[in-house]
Amino acid sequence: MSKQKEPYIALDMSKVLGNKNKLLSLWHLMRGYHFHYFVSTIFLALAAFARTGMYLFLGSFIDRMMNEGLMGRELTLSALGFGALIALQALSSFMSSWMANFTAENTTRRLRDYLFDHIQRLSYSYHSESKTGDLLERATSDVDTLRRFFAEQAISVGRIVMIFIISFVAIARINLRLALVSIIIIPIVLVISIIFFKRLSKAYEAYQEQGAILTTDLQENLSGVRVVKAFARQNYEIEKFDKENAEKFRLGRKFNWMHALFWPLSDIICSAQNIGSSFYGATMVLNGVMTLGQYLSFIGLLGWLIWPIRNLGRLIIDTSRALVSFGRISVVMEAPEEDMKSATYQPKDGIKGQITFEHVSFAYEKDFLVLDDVSFSCDAGQVVALLGSTGSGKTSLVNLLPRFYDVTSGQILLDGVNLNEYSREFLRSQIGIVEQEPFLFSCSIRDNITYGVHREVSQEEIEEAAREAAIHDVILGFRHGYDTLVGERGVTLSGGQKQRIAIARTLLLNPRILILDDSTSSVDMETEVEIRAALDRLMTNRTTFIIAHRIQSIMNADLILVFDKGKIIQMGEHEVLLNQAGIYKDIYDIQARIDSALQEEIEHVESI
Amino acid sequence: MSNQYNEEELDDVVSLKSGVVGRLLKALKPYWPQMLLAVVGISLVSFLDAYFTVLNKRIIDEGIVAKNLPMIISLFRNYALIVLAQMFGFFIMIYIMGLLAEQLRYDFRKNLFHHLQSLSLSYFSKTPLGWIMSRVTSDTEKMADLLTWGVQDTIWAVTNISFAMYFMLQLNLTLALIVLLSLPVMIIVSFKFRVKIYHHYRQSRKANSKMTAALNENITGVRVVKALRREAKNLEDFKVLSTNMYEESYRAVFLSAIYLPTIQTISAISLVLILWRGGLQVAGGTMTVGVLQAFISYIMMILWPIQDLARVYAEMQNAVASSERVFSLLDMQPEIRNRENLLPVDSLVGDVEFENVSFHYDDDEPVIKNLSFHIPQGQNVALVGTTGGGKTTIVNLLCRFYEPTDGVIRIAGHDYTQYSLEDIQSRIGVVLQVPHLFSGSIRDNLRYGRLDATDEEIEEAAKLAGAHEFIMNFEKGYDQDVGEGGNQLSVGQKQLISIARALLADPDIFIMDEATSSVDTLTEALIQKGMHQLMSGRTSFIIAHRLSTIKSADLIMVIEGGQIIEQGNHESLMRARGHYYNLYTKQFRHDLETKYNPFADQETEVSAA
Repeated sequence: MSKQKEPYIALDMSKVLGNKNKLLSLWHLMRGYHFHYFVSTIFLALAAFARTGMYLFLGSFIDRMMNEGLMGRELTLSALGFGALIALQALSSFMSSWMANFTAENTTRRLRDYLFDHIQRLSYSYHSESKTGDLLERATSDVDTLRRFFAEQAISVGRIVMIFIISFVAIARINLRLALVSIIIIPIVLVISIIFFKRLSKAYEAYQEQGAILTTDLQENLSGVRVVKAFARQNYEIEKFDKENAEKFRLGRKFNWMHALFWPLSDIICSAQNIGSSFYGATMVLNGVMTLGQYLSFIGLLGWLIWPIRNLGRLIIDTSRALVSFGRISVVMEAPEEDMKSATYQPKDGIKGQITFEHVSFAYEKDFLVLDDVSFSCDAGQVVALLGSTGSGKTSLVNLLPRFYDVTSGQILLDGVNLNEYSREFLRSQIGIVEQEPFLFSCSIRDNITYGVHREVSQEEIEEAAREAAIHDVILGFRHGYDTLVGERGVTLSGGQKQRIAIARTLLLNPRILILDDSTSSVDMETEVEIRAALDRLMTNRTTFIIAHRIQSIMNADLILVFDKGKIIQMGEHEVLLNQAGIYKDIYDIQARIDSALQEEIEHVESI
Repeated sequence: MSNQYNEEELDDVVSLKSGVVGRLLKALKPYWPQMLLAVVGISLVSFLDAYFTVLNKRIIDEGIVAKNLPMIISLFRNYALIVLAQMFGFFIMIYIMGLLAEQLRYDFRKNLFHHLQSLSLSYFSKTPLGWIMSRVTSDTEKMADLLTWGVQDTIWAVTNISFAMYFMLQLNLTLALIVLLSLPVMIIVSFKFRVKIYHHYRQSRKANSKMTAALNENITGVRVVKALRREAKNLEDFKVLSTNMYEESYRAVFLSAIYLPTIQTISAISLVLILWRGGLQVAGGTMTVGVLQAFISYIMMILWPIQDLARVYAEMQNAVASSERVFSLLDMQPEIRNRENLLPVDSLVGDVEFENVSFHYDDDEPVIKNLSFHIPQGQNVALVGTTGGGKTTIVNLLCRFYEPTDGVIRIAGHDYTQYSLEDIQSRIGVVLQVPHLFSGSIRDNLRYGRLDATDEEIEEAAKLAGAHEFIMNFEKGYDQDVGEGGNQLSVGQKQLISIARALLADPDIFIMDEATSSVDTLTEALIQKGMHQLMSGRTSFIIAHRLSTIKSADLIMVIEGGQIIEQGNHESLMRARGHYYNLYTKQFRHDLETKYNPFADQETEVSAA
């Protein structure tokens, strides 16, 4: 695919994150769209002026008509002028809203892309410590909260404030006293609205939480349907669900009650202001302080002075939510990415694969060594088998090779050069990993085989690799062959099948160093033979580290490392270890013991 | 299979079948008094909304222009009283509709859940869980919203426009005709806009869920991504999705931004006409200023009901589609049902007999072929054989999760379809291979076996099952939370608890599917002990993987291709040197390899990182 031109300029993270003031950070998040937002604000003001102008124009129109009688051309022009003002107001509103949305959509799109990339580049340890759901939440719904802030709340607050000021000034110019009388109620409405929306959002959260409980209940009931039926507990389940369902109903009712109370009540308060001011205005006309036209302008503007204030409470609460969301996002943004490129050593003819561990120790957390003073060395193309129980340090050792983690002390040499001098980028291109049950992506089998192979691969090449990995026939057995989708929308593959797809991929990658987790526990005999053969082909001419679970894969290894609690307790070739008393010999002897035990058992049965 | 379900939901346009509308209205039937009250409330609010303009007109004409202060005072007093009346209607409208919406959601969820409990296992194995969940959670909301807020907005909009038109026609015929002519234009343009906006909005929601799925996968598979240096390509792929989302979302917001201004501009044309024509009439003395002002107000206000109407119209199609899906689920009949004239029983103690039983799932591929056997009361049967041979199906038939397509199953002398499902299932105890626990405490999970069990009885059962000790090792003992799906416990512990749960139920027949995954030796021994407790004195069927279980069975059946290919006890089958012999020796090797290997991972769920 040709490299796309970036549709936007990059974010300046130092400016986004380096602020105490979160609003300032949000401002930097809009980089490249400040002008659009500025334009939006200009048109916002223009729309407010146009709207106010409409009412003033209307007033003077009426006055002139009452006084001198507008006729003919003048009347037509006035009517058209009024229409033009509405059109101007409409156009400005559109421009303002368009530009604000343009900014919001672009800003969030860039933020989404940035977060996606940032998250996949966060260090290995960051990922092992964080929860998928939590990261996901921040990168999606929190980002969407920000989008709404840019598109709606920020603009709406601006609009309400601007319209208020302009309307107020306009009324004040007609009559200052009237203007002042008209805003008596505003602080009260504002306070009530803030209190109400604060409580409302609390009630809403409780309602949502109960919804989540109900959903979990439902999910458990559905996934445990066999148990429910086996114990014939349908009625019990129904009772349980009804209880939670009723609780949601109760919370919804409460939520609803608040709504039903607030809107009419605040309407009454606002209406009281409206009626009072209008009445006051009407008496002013009677007293000749104000003209009828001015009165009509006034009552038109009055609406824009009072009613929007009711919504200000909601906007303020939403804004504070947006700031909380931004806080949650910036925590992720502040986490450092893995340094992929800074080390520069890169041999011209590629690496050979000779590896030396010199007094390597490693700890995830301070003071708890997972690897303790590990030293060994192997030549290019050799096979190293790692043996030991769970938690003995095998996995941690192989995680050091692609520099998923760096050593705590000591050093690892690759072809005589310290591993830290190679860039992670380069190292990982030289190392292939086949896990016990590899993670496959929900794309086609073909895409999974070529995943991460950084070159064009022909169909022949893919099939050849698949044949070598003993998975070709399995793939052809699916209805869509290599185009079969993996996962929920396609086929479910067994652990052994996934492993062989990873083997095919690794064959295409053609790495110098190989890390294998050779577990074949969950496959039947025939497949086991096939996988074994596929692995043998893969290991040819590659320095290989095997996390071994069974004796067969160990016997041919050039070097066997037996681990216990992070230390190497036995080391050497098969023949050597066999002649030492120790765990290795014990394991080896098992096979013989099994055979004799089986024989005994059969004889016992036959003798009955 | 799941494709069909996905596509169904992507369908935007659904034929408006009258059946759906009728059934939706039927859901409202019990609430017709509330609905009636709400409609009265809506009409009152809507009428007064339109009437305020008339009142304003009178204040101008009869009060201000006529310089009549007492009139002004009395009109403003009326105004205040009407506001109070309207707010009362407003309150009723919001309160009743909101309550009704909540009530309907509750009803729909309840009906669906109750119905789901009656459906057979076959339905759940065919239908993706997520699909069912969406029906209960989101579709019910959309249905309720349509029936309440949708109905309310429609009534409000229609009556409001009608009342306004009525007053306008009263006030001035010519000007009213101008408004009347512009009305259809505004409505049509509005509907077109709204449908388009909603379409793009839905597209953007879909794009959004694709984007979220991509992100989710990238986080879950981050280890592979890093190992294969796929970051740059992944970002490129993601940008395609995020661009798609951007475009759909942008289209929706752009159309939204231009929509209202467009309608306003259209209304501006009629306003200009009204000002011009009205201006002439005012100057000619045939019309008052108040009337002119009233018309200006009306035309500005009428934009709101039009917008509401268009919005409801756009969202309605989707809500109807939701309703169709919900109704299709409610129409689903359980495949296994109680027959008429049931035979009441309090116990299923007796022989178990299969007579020429055949069974196939929907695809007509026979899974069980003409199977016959007779198990005397109290015998322990071990079912062995390769995966897919039909062992699980036999168990499912026994529990009557499915019924034979041919032949008869007899328990205690009677065809078991003569019993009620509840009687059978409450008398048969089942322990599954991967035991399912419900979130809650250990005690809650044990009590699931018998709801009226006392704490002492629960502990007694746990002791018998060998679960008591590890339970007491938890900080909170029996009150320890097991986590969602029991994921705070190991497989072995879950199995012990499910054995204790079955013991508490004190079933007449016991069925167990042994776990294949390895469990540490101590737990294993405890499980064996618990199983024996359950097996003693009860007819039992075990899908066996453990050698000790198999060896101690009274009868071993080797199931292959839906048939019994060998049966007998351990010794006789070993001597026969047939299928059983091969299975046994293979399992024997495997067991010992696992047992002796000091490095074998205890429990297979140890994570790689």
